[in-house]
Order: sequence, then C-alpha cells, then structure tokens
Amino acid sequence: MSEGKILDIAHISFLDMIKVMITMSGAASAKGALIRNAINTAEKIKEVDYPTFEDFLAAIENSTNPITQVEGKATHQGGFVFGLTNCPFGPSIKNYMGVFEKLPEGYADFTEEFNKPSKVTEIYRVGEGAGVSPFCSVHQPMRSAVAERISIGGKKIKIYQLGCKAGSGKKGFADRWLAETGISREVVDKTLDNHMCCYYLQIVD
Amino acid sequence: MKKMRRGGLLPLPDQVGRKFYTTVNVLGEKENLKKILIVDDEEDMVWSLRQNINNDYLQVEIFTAASGEEALTVLSSNHIDLVLTDIRMPGMSGLDLLLEVKNRFPYTMVIIMTAFPSNEFKKEALLRGSLHFIEKPFDIKELRDLIRHALREENVFKGTVAGVGLADVIQINGLSRATSLLRVKQGEQLGVIYFQEGQVVHAMCGDLEGEDAFFKIMEFTGGRLDSMSFNDLPARTINAPVEALIIEAARRLDESGGGDSTGPDCADIDLEVQINEIKSAPAGGGINHGSGLAFAVQTGTEPVNREDEMSSLKDLLSEFTNIPGVNTACLVGRDGFLLDSIAMSGIDTEMIGAIASSGFGASESMGKQLGKGALSMSMIEFANGPVMLSPVGDDAFLVIVADKDANLGMIRLKIKKHASLIAETAAI
Repeated sequence: MSEGKILDIAHISFLDMIKVMITMSGAASAKGALIRNAINTAEKIKEVDYPTFEDFLAAIENSTNPITQVEGKATHQGGFVFGLTNCPFGPSIKNYMGVFEKLPEGYADFTEEFNKPSKVTEIYRVGEGAGVSPFCSVHQPMRSAVAERISIGGKKIKIYQLGCKAGSGKKGFADRWLAETGISREVVDKTLDNHMCCYYLQIVD
Repeated sequence: MKKMRRGGLLPLPDQVGRKFYTTVNVLGEKENLKKILIVDDEEDMVWSLRQNINNDYLQVEIFTAASGEEALTVLSSNHIDLVLTDIRMPGMSGLDLLLEVKNRFPYTMVIIMTAFPSNEFKKEALLRGSLHFIEKPFDIKELRDLIRHALREENVFKGTVAGVGLADVIQINGLSRATSLLRVKQGEQLGVIYFQEGQVVHAMCGDLEGEDAFFKIMEFTGGRLDSMSFNDLPARTINAPVEALIIEAARRLDESGGGDSTGPDCADIDLEVQINEIKSAPAGGGINHGSGLAFAVQTGTEPVNREDEMSSLKDLLSEFTNIPGVNTACLVGRDGFLLDSIAMSGIDTEMIGAIASSGFGASESMGKQLGKGALSMSMIEFANGPVMLSPVGDDAFLVIVADKDANLGMIRLKIKKHASLIAETAAI
C-alpha cells in the first residue's frame, strides 16, 4: 500500500509563512525580514582562516567549510567560479509542489522584488537578476554573509552571485555582477547547465 | 459657554457664508491686537497657521478666508494690518488679490506664500507690491519673525518727501551699502531695483531686465517709492557701479530732453521706508545697514533658498529634525534596511527601520485590500507622540518620530515638499 504524498510540515509552514508575510506587509518588507534573518544566522558562524585557496577547497570536500555547511558542496569550475549542484531549498519546493502542484501566490512578486537593486543586494552582491525564487533571497545573502566570516591567507573573501536556475530550468543572470567580475555569461550559462547556482569568489587584496 | 483661554479659538458670526475664527489674548481683549488675514484654500495650511502663529512673543487677531473673493469681503469690513495669502487658489489668485489690496487698502501689508515657487511668481509679486515672499513649507518661527517685523509699524515712516529724486535714493542706498530693493511705481508703470551691499545688481521693469530696466525706471518722473528687503536675489544682471549708472541715466535723459543733468526729477515721490535698528545681515542675503544712514530698509527674517543648500540626505532629514518636537528622521528602504537617519540617542535606527518596514507594508496592504489606492502617509499615535511614515520614491519611505506637541501640519507639509528631492538625492 502506497503511503501517498507526505508533507514536510516544517518546510511547508515556512513556505506558507512567506506567503503570509507578503500578504500582510508586502513583498519588500517580507524580503527584508527574510534577508535580515539569514544574515543574523550567518553572523553566528565562527570565523575561520584557510592558509591557501586549496585549503579552502579541501574544506568544501570534507564539508567543514562554513559555506558548505549552509548550502552543501559546490564545485570549483576554475577561475574562482563555483557551481552548486543542488539548491538547498530544492527538497522543500519539491515536497510542496508534490502536494499543492504550485508554489504559493505572491512568490513571483517576491522574486522580482529581490532582483531590484537595493542596499542589501549592493552590500552582498546578490540579486540583480540572479534570483529565480523567493528562496534565493535567503540563500544568496546568507552565503555572502557567511563568506565574510572566512579568510584565505589572512585576506577577506567576497562572493558575487552570478546566476541561478529555477526548478523549471529557467536561468537567471546577474549582469551587473558579471560585469564587475569580468566573468562571461557563457561560462555561467554553461555552469548552470549542470548546477543550480553559480557564484564567483574574490580574494580581496 | 465656551471656556476662554489664551490663543483659543472663538467663532465669529458668519460673514460671507463661512465661519471666521479669531484668536484672542489671555484677557479676551482683541481691540489692540494687530489683525492678520490668512487666505488659502488649503484647509490643512489654514488650520496649521491658525494654530501656530500666536505664541508668547506674537499675539495677533487672526481672520481666515478660503479665496481671494472672501478675503476682499473680510478686508472691506475689518481693518486688516497684514494679509498672508497663497498664490494658487480657485477663482481670484493671490497675485490678483495682492493687486486689489494694494489699490484698495494701500497700508495693508501682504506676504505671499506658495508651494510652487518660481521666478515669474516672485517677479510678479514684487512688481505688484508684495512685502515678502515665502515658500511652503516654511518654519513657523520663520513666518512669525516675518510677521513680527512686518507689523513693526513704529519703525516705519510713511508720507511724502518733497525734493527727493530717485537718483538721490539710489545714491543713498549705495552710500549705506544697503541690501534691499526699491519698488518704483508711476501710474501703471512699475519697476524694481535690487541693491546688494550698495551696488545695483538687478532691475526689472515691464518686460525689461538689467540695465535697460534700470534706465527705463530712471525715466520715471514721479510716483511712489517703496523700500523693502527681499527673500531671494535673482541672477545678477547689472555690474556697473552705481555712480556710472546714474550718470548714464542722466546722459540718456539729457539726450532725450527729458531732464536735467542731476538726474530724473522725482520731487513728488511718495516715499515709504523703514528705519531699523542696526543689525548684521542674516546669512544668505538680506540686510546690510553699514553706516546707519537715515535710509535703511525693513528688516525681517530673510529666508534663504534652502534647496540650493541641501546637498545631502542628512541635510534633507535635518529639515524634519529642525521642527520643534521632531527627534528622529529616518529614510528606510521598503525592505527595512536603513538608508540614512538623524536620530536622538538611544534609538536603534536599524531596528526601527526593520520594524517600520513591517508597519509601512501593513498599511499599504490594508489600503490595497480596501481599495484605497496608494499610501500617501501613515501615522501611528502613541502616548508620547506620533510616528509618521510616508513613501519616498518607489523603494523607500520616511519615518518621522515626534513628540506629542510637534506641529504635525508642518511635518506633513515638509514631507510633501521634500519627498521627491529626497528620492532624487538617495537615487531611489
């Protein structure tokens, strides 16, 4: 006998809560609240310094890298471009859609709101077209904020969100951050063929 | 029976179909108070002025009218000392009212106020005889100072001075290094000459400006002359020294056979000037009495063109925190991230931004649900005063934290005036 579709109520509640926040106080306010929460979480991460970039990569492989701890293993594509195979929100989205077939109303507005230039997208170098779902507004700033807790050879690092791919396969590109990093759209496009998320890591001199 | 209190409002009988209110002093005596007529179709503005003009240092009897036509009715039945009028009103405009007042009630002073300042308005107001021009929103203290000085009649000489020519007046202004303007009227012709530290810097006459206007005015052979201060100095159009201008005017008159070598004959000019205490000029223009010669000009608050000075968000936010009772002004992104702020100590503006974002968003959502359209302002009243939220551009909003005694009308007016400039400055 089949167990049928089973809801992960912890995740479902979170997804529905986003919808409630959008309804109650608008997409902009809801976005801000989620981002602030994500940043606060990131700030709880212990600071770490890796002697070399190779040590940083090794920490990804053995899952001790703080970025890996919040999103899973990313793979270095070369030239400091990384691809993340699985979206950390993928299972939740899949579970929700498995039962309700589509995501809650208001999510499109939320995503559009996240992609707008704003103080927070400026600080964390996210959005600007690289958001493909409301969850990007949690995930992308959180990764950037976690990166602020990491240094390589004593030097700070910065993350630039270059692109992202929705479950439907639709890709989003952050032209602004592509321009700032000098990474070509083709490289990101190709990375997203096999990954859900693509970002650039800069070691700040 | 209504309880009488200082600054309280007592309804007067209907005079033209609407109630006028007057403010009386603590003893209920209003006979000796100067009378001010506020003319504005904007109810908020009239309400705010009526509530705030009188204080410990200024007590006047206040009349109100919602149009120029109503104002003339009030003027006909009351001796009004000063008219404070908006420009843009349905029916008779403030400028038309000004002209009527100057023709029918020549000793009634007029202050023009408008939320839509333009050089054309200012020029027209000056030519029609306005004492002062003030931009909305203005600080109530600034307006009180303006009114107080305008009403200082004891410092004004009025009458006809025989044997004084226009050239004499201009020379004396030059010697006293005055910063003022002369309004010259001969029949239907009007001219204005601006002085800055004794130098003639600008003139207007009909469609003429600059030296052409100056020489045209110097052709006047008599009439009425008013000396007054000015709010904003227009762009300088005259650079020649006073002496050279007077000599050139005399030469032109000689050539045209219109006068003697000493300049235009203005022996029958009605001269109205004010003798004032010697004081230093306020920043941004206004008064320079220098030698303290008999010809000085009316003092008064000289509002500077503040928009030119406001180059940063902090400057703009200080427009709010400078209002008595306003202690915090924040510009917040709609996502709740703080863009800039001026706050009293102890206020966590980052947290205020985050919380206010929720309140602002909730207000917008409610309006949307109720079909009320776009949110223009939201006010939350607390025991110790209100918090006002108002959108700025598409992506931000203002949070103004005030004490319970703060002038809410003034805050509203400043929000209306500065919102677009704040959005522009913040690039939002």
